[in-house]
Amino acid sequence: MLKILLAPLFFLGKMIANGISSVGELCCILWFTVRQLPYVFRTWGLVLKQMVAIGVSSMPLLFVTSIFTGMVATVQASFQFRGLVADKWVGTAACKMVLIELGPLLTALVLAGRVGSALAAEIASMREKEELDAHEVLGLDPYRYLAMPRFVAFMSMVPCLTVISNCLALIGGWIVAVLALDISSYTFYTGMQYLFNPMDLFGGTIKSFVFGVIIFLIGWLHGINAAPGARGVGLATKDAVVSCCLMILILDLATDAILFQ
Amino acid sequence: MPNVKIDPNDIMIQLRGLQKAFGAQTVLADVNLNIRRGETMVIIGQSGGGKSVILKHMIGLLQPDGGEVVVDGVTISTPKFFDTRTIRKKMGMLFQSGALFDSMDTGENIAFALREHHPELSEKQVQEVVTEKLKLINLVPEFRSKMPSELSGGMRKRVALARAIALSPEILLYDEPTTGLDPITSDVINDLILDMQSKLGVTSVVVTHDMVSAFKVADRIAMLYKGRIIEVGTVDEIKNTTNPFVKQFITGKRKINPEDTAN
Repeated sequence: MLKILLAPLFFLGKMIANGISSVGELCCILWFTVRQLPYVFRTWGLVLKQMVAIGVSSMPLLFVTSIFTGMVATVQASFQFRGLVADKWVGTAACKMVLIELGPLLTALVLAGRVGSALAAEIASMREKEELDAHEVLGLDPYRYLAMPRFVAFMSMVPCLTVISNCLALIGGWIVAVLALDISSYTFYTGMQYLFNPMDLFGGTIKSFVFGVIIFLIGWLHGINAAPGARGVGLATKDAVVSCCLMILILDLATDAILFQ
Repeated sequence: MPNVKIDPNDIMIQLRGLQKAFGAQTVLADVNLNIRRGETMVIIGQSGGGKSVILKHMIGLLQPDGGEVVVDGVTISTPKFFDTRTIRKKMGMLFQSGALFDSMDTGENIAFALREHHPELSEKQVQEVVTEKLKLINLVPEFRSKMPSELSGGMRKRVALARAIALSPEILLYDEPTTGLDPITSDVINDLILDMQSKLGVTSVVVTHDMVSAFKVADRIAMLYKGRIIEVGTVDEIKNTTNPFVKQFITGKRKINPEDTAN
């Protein structure tokens, strides 16, 4: 009887212990990777390859999601405020929503699904095929040749993609405003400028930098800890996406609280 | 059997009382083995018996729970004094799957470690070494542009061997080099193992359960059974052993012959 009553407590305790252990592992991965940053110029070719894989290859998907995000934001702003406030506020609301929240958040969530999962699957598969051991045996530190180039690529490409995504979303918003909501380009543009604060753009970019780092860390963590076999790779990929999305949402709230007080 | 002069007192790798467990499962109970400089030692034993675990201890991929691993006079099983990079430059390893880097072509696979460890080499020199290593494994230089996915199992192992010898190691570790290969390709790999010994003078440790391969390449054979080395001897000594477990293994019998146990 006592055992049954204590079961939830044990479960909770195990979850907390696992959480603490994962945070510790993430800190170790971050430290081992950051320690390799001085070698970034020696491995520039690998960094560039990852930048293309993470950044350039994600553009088509991001193009579609960003344009539609901007359109939806503008339509919603118009739907909520029209008749209550002047039309220019639609542009203001869309711009604020996109720069502060939707741009960085949706870009990070899309990248978590696309490249975070790919990172976990790639590393899990390399581990399965003993490629990580082969690096070690050849005296090549996997953190220098595999982790650090990906870390730099994530750290730099996620903010870049976020800025591009913001621009595309605003273009999408402008298109829908002019074509469907009968708002003139001038009114929409004036609204975007109104109440614009450079901190909106800066804060959003800082957030995307944090998201880039966390997508890399979680993808790598699940990759190197993957269970053997095809099932292990599948589970690692799924867990990486779920953890990334969860952490992005939590960190979004945390960074908002710090940056936009 | 290879014909290379080996000094019985010149020990290259020493395993002293090696112990390793994964969770509750004890894989290595007490492994003691001396491997002489220049010899080819073949470790035989059942699948899942811990042969690959021994290899991983020799190259420092695993740390033992107890005992010592001494390579060329350096105790590598004590992390405090373990200079991973230096000791690993002396060693090469051929993995069971080849473990080629999928994103690189054959030439890049061989050149990768070379470029990183010898930045003083020009690109021309690096390519010369790649050609030389490909020739050593009887592959034409044109192979350098092939991607690992385009190679057959035997080819992958040969390229992996070329990569393992790229840094001119003194010790070569082979993890199941003939597993999954047809008998003819297996024989090609066996010949390459012998070539590496005769041409490069390397000390080789081969882990296998392929007895044809073991008898062909070995100077000495060690049998791992239940986490211990139960017999070490030359090919002839192993063939004529009285140990029932070794006899059972080399003859591939499901059950031990009762007459052997009685002896």
